[in-house]
Amino acid sequence: MKRKAFLIDTTRCTACRSCQVACKQWNKLDAEATVNRGSYENPPDLTPLLYNQIHFIEQEQGDDLRWLFINRRCMHCADAGCVKVCPSAGALYHTKEGLVAYNREKCIECHYCVSGCPFDVPRYDAKQKVTKCHACSDRVQNGLLPACAKACPTQALSFGDRDQLIAEAKAAGKKLYGENDLGGLGVLYVLDDEPGTYRLPKNPAIPASIFFWKDVVKPLGILGFWGAVGVAALHYVTIGPKKLDDADDQPRKGGE
Amino acid sequence: MTNTIDRFGTASRVLHWLVAISFLLLVLSGLGLYAHTFFGYFDLFGGPQQGIVVHKWAGIVFLIGSVLLFLSHAGEVCRFDADDRRWIARLGGYLSRNAEEIPQGKFNAGQKLFGIFAVIAALVMGATGLVIWDPTAYSRELTQASFLLHSIFFNLFMVGMIVHVYLATIGNPGTLEGMLYGQVRRSWAKKHAGKWFEKVAKN
Repeated sequence: MKRKAFLIDTTRCTACRSCQVACKQWNKLDAEATVNRGSYENPPDLTPLLYNQIHFIEQEQGDDLRWLFINRRCMHCADAGCVKVCPSAGALYHTKEGLVAYNREKCIECHYCVSGCPFDVPRYDAKQKVTKCHACSDRVQNGLLPACAKACPTQALSFGDRDQLIAEAKAAGKKLYGENDLGGLGVLYVLDDEPGTYRLPKNPAIPASIFFWKDVVKPLGILGFWGAVGVAALHYVTIGPKKLDDADDQPRKGGE
Repeated sequence: MTNTIDRFGTASRVLHWLVAISFLLLVLSGLGLYAHTFFGYFDLFGGPQQGIVVHKWAGIVFLIGSVLLFLSHAGEVCRFDADDRRWIARLGGYLSRNAEEIPQGKFNAGQKLFGIFAVIAALVMGATGLVIWDPTAYSRELTQASFLLHSIFFNLFMVGMIVHVYLATIGNPGTLEGMLYGQVRRSWAKKHAGKWFEKVAKN
């Protein structure tokens, strides 16, 4: 099956937050009490009960205010750090559409995915199970749009065939974020400024320590283990054990 | 005159086996976190969540036990003399069938090095283990670095443990008796710990 993806054109976003609300409704996520921080951004970050969030960038420019909005969520990476570190096969996985979904029954509550994610996305709920945007995999499998994309009134948020979304955006002369990073992100952005302005890493990658842990130390460790077993066995049959001279243990005559 | 001489006291042996059992528990309960292939090991503990709980508390026992074990032998383990350096240079004679034994104290240079490695590894694994006890308690960078260090020292520890178990059992017949019963045969002491044997035999 062809890979599906979100295309988020931040230049069309009006921060109406229909996506936040639609997501909460479809996924049956309760409202949370928040405090007024002097910003329209609310809540301030992803939570176990908020799978996507409109991040507000509010820049004062003289008397003027520059207002930028970006829908933040799981990026559905092809080379996903969370899937890489998850010890429980199938707890976090790629759907046949290439989206990163999860099975709460298989989550072992280890929190490894929190460290493995390059975008700081996975959250743990009150039952200590992983939660995040799963691209409404239940809806998508039944031919529906994810709730957020369905609800977006300005077409800032679209969902569909990844290659087609990219082709269309390029034909319209738009620059994309995430086309090739991490094997290609499942959330592509059209940004109005540098990625850093939107709190996005310029070159997103698996964290170096996670890469060394899983792709260097683990294979070397397995090699080292069997290497040591092999060397010990080889030593035993070639050079052999250090045998004792039993003569030293003979009881001496006359009770010396 | 008896055929054996005392090597390890009761407390010392109990402590060693406590550390050994906690190490085994740590390996069995941790392998499921290491690779998908070993996920089934969690079944030994009733499931992944229970396995992780066992891993955490066995880790506490192992950390404290390792430090106590090291401290109880620190006097002998941390002192290296010219014979020890010769022993290391010749790799303890393990690469030849008829190597002449270099007289050693209660512990040979290899055992000393292993003792020092083991306590350092236990401290690193203990410290990083405490950081990832709750993987959201500290900064992402510290937690990620702890996963890496925990994994590096785990792998080093496994290699070290294979060498330790091989040399303490079939590689050197008679060695295990000291840790099981507390006594070793005179022939063992004479061959493996010549200087210690001289000292003990005199008394």
